[in-house]
Amino acid sequence: MDFDAIVIGSGISGGWAAKELCERGLRTLLIERGRHVTHKADYQDFSAPWELDNRGQVPEDEAHQDYAIQSTSYAFNSATRQWWVKDSEHPYLTPEGREFHWLRGYHLGGRSLTWARQTYRLSDLDFNANKKDGHGVDWPIRYADISPWYDHVESFAGISGNSEGLEQLPDGRFLKPMDLNCAELDFKRKIESRHPSRRVTIGRCAHLTEPTAEHIALGRGPCQLRSVCERGCGYGGYFSTLSATLPAAQRTGNLTLVTDAIVEKLDYDPAKRRISSVRVIDAKTNERRSYQARVVFLCASTIPTAQILLHSKSEYFPNGLANRSDQVGRNLMDHVHGIGAIGNVPGLLDRYYYGRRPTGIYIPRYANVTEDGRGEYTRGWAFQGKGERPSWDRALDSPGIGAEMKAQLREPGPWQMVLFGFAEMLPRADNRVTLHVSRKDSSGLPLVHIDCTFGDNDRKLAAEADKDASAMLVAAGCTNVRKLFPQLKPPGACVHEMGTVRMGRDPATSVLNAHNQAHDIPNLFITDGSCMTSSSCVNPSLTYMALSARAAHFAADRLGTGEL
Amino acid sequence: MDTGGSEKLNRRALLAGAVFLLGGAAALSRFSRPGTSGGGGKSADDGPVLSAEQFALLEQVSETMVPATDTAGAIGAGVPEFIREMLSEWGSAGTRSDFANVLESIQQQAWSRFGMDFLEMPPERRLAVMKDFDAARIGSHDGPYRKFKWLVLIGYYHSEEGATHELRYELVPGAWRACLPITEVGRASAFY
Repeated sequence: MDFDAIVIGSGISGGWAAKELCERGLRTLLIERGRHVTHKADYQDFSAPWELDNRGQVPEDEAHQDYAIQSTSYAFNSATRQWWVKDSEHPYLTPEGREFHWLRGYHLGGRSLTWARQTYRLSDLDFNANKKDGHGVDWPIRYADISPWYDHVESFAGISGNSEGLEQLPDGRFLKPMDLNCAELDFKRKIESRHPSRRVTIGRCAHLTEPTAEHIALGRGPCQLRSVCERGCGYGGYFSTLSATLPAAQRTGNLTLVTDAIVEKLDYDPAKRRISSVRVIDAKTNERRSYQARVVFLCASTIPTAQILLHSKSEYFPNGLANRSDQVGRNLMDHVHGIGAIGNVPGLLDRYYYGRRPTGIYIPRYANVTEDGRGEYTRGWAFQGKGERPSWDRALDSPGIGAEMKAQLREPGPWQMVLFGFAEMLPRADNRVTLHVSRKDSSGLPLVHIDCTFGDNDRKLAAEADKDASAMLVAAGCTNVRKLFPQLKPPGACVHEMGTVRMGRDPATSVLNAHNQAHDIPNLFITDGSCMTSSSCVNPSLTYMALSARAAHFAADRLGTGEL
Repeated sequence: MDTGGSEKLNRRALLAGAVFLLGGAAALSRFSRPGTSGGGGKSADDGPVLSAEQFALLEQVSETMVPATDTAGAIGAGVPEFIREMLSEWGSAGTRSDFANVLESIQQQAWSRFGMDFLEMPPERRLAVMKDFDAARIGSHDGPYRKFKWLVLIGYYHSEEGATHELRYELVPGAWRACLPITEVGRASAFY
């Protein structure tokens, strides 16, 4: 064997799997399909606005022709363009009239560089949800199974947040929270007094407010409040594969890293019931080669993981690897997005803030928790938001020029509060990733076809959340409250896609067991978003971290005892 | 993945001796690779994106919109040159044509209101023309004018002059102070 373990994908999940496996003494190969990235050196985070290419704007024709989907992200600009694929080079298919936004980058570290860094724990409200209301299948784990692993990953990653004692949003091992600003404090006081069943807290995020010795040993330093995170952070102020898990894996001496290697398929040995090798295509030369290891962690992210399994057909798995249940590629979920409102906050004109805080406020789920959904819908939503005083760009929507405008813009504008909803999306078998029968990508692999729509409950949640966003702003005394979105964003736009290789108790209806191990294939583990059995309404990355670490230790234990 | 289109930045970085920002040898190789601008701007041999007359008008229109006061105005902050570069490197053909049309409409308004060329008017008249033009176009949610105004304002407020003298900008704030008397902070932050 070349290696003890192979990890496919270097994003948040793969980075964690590689780190834990290496730290357990396993010789580990990490395979990334995209190019190599050097932490710090490849970032543009020390450029002032006037130093950026086109002041941060990607040329209009280029954005339109090459980045039609990717350019819809708030994090797409001329200093981050290298973190996004060209849609023109990496197409995918959707049915006519059923858009899906697949936002992604092919490079070392994947979306751990561009993620929004919000980090929340799932709770038993989530782990019991499917069993309780009958959607999807029952999670094979409960909060008690994952809780110590949340502790484990939070300590290492560095999560700032405030403990709130809420059952539906468990507290974690938090670094010092960032403070609410004046308008947010006022909003919190008014909302919590008007709605004792709701809570307003600071957004929990993977930023080092007070680095520990463990963080500093990896070369990480405190967050500098620049809010240029999506360019990459040379301070290592936020968690990414490059700032945290990769250097931790590398210092063990057990890591081998291969970039520009696109996984084509996994070979299955029916006699041994094992994955026998991982076949890759060199992205630069198109040469094919393969690697062998005792255990394989597939962390390619929700859609490519399904793609690789579906493409790895064999006599024993004619419908795709590990797919006896026919669930591979199904149950695709995102969070329902395009919900929210904005309003003007009267007063506080003598108050302002200093620094560019990289998180906002959070209103944990209350629907069907502390408030009854009256049977009209199941599950719920959460809000993110912020209070701020807009700067010069407010002049774009109001008349005014000359010395008068200049004098006005010298002061920040009146306070505004904004709320964005994130609603849970139910798992439905018809929301599905499949392979096109004939169309291929530039490496000769079948193109993915993504067919995903919101269901009735998803839309009901969104409509309720949209109403509540406006109602809360009004209740907090805001004026000129208006909806932010005329319609929902397409599925995928929240970039929380998950669910295509779900965990479950029954091999007939799920792909992975309680340890993220394929029911049928003991040496195959899948710990990216594809493993999710339900979507909760919280940002999912922290859960991928915890499940990846947990599965890596399970695999290392079994390798140690010879069971694998 | 190709990181094309950053040649200009690389050029600047090289001039500033700051190649390390872009990854050393990788930056150099991107710098020398032809044809990676991705179909964005206009190629250098198509002639200028603004005629001398248009550029002169742009100078005075932008200075009227953001005049010199106790800090520099649009001309002092290099806004006209910035916009010319943006039209060349960033704007689509549609944007370039819309921009020229906005300039033309301003000139027309000058003639119809005062019977004079905008460039020959005294500053008070220029201000009167632009004030009305801005109010009408913003009032009617005119897309091309909004983009025009955005170019002038980002050109000014994200210039070094506009960001650091007129407003306030810290490359590395280093701290978050959530709720302060505005007098302790001073001016509006140029960069959200």
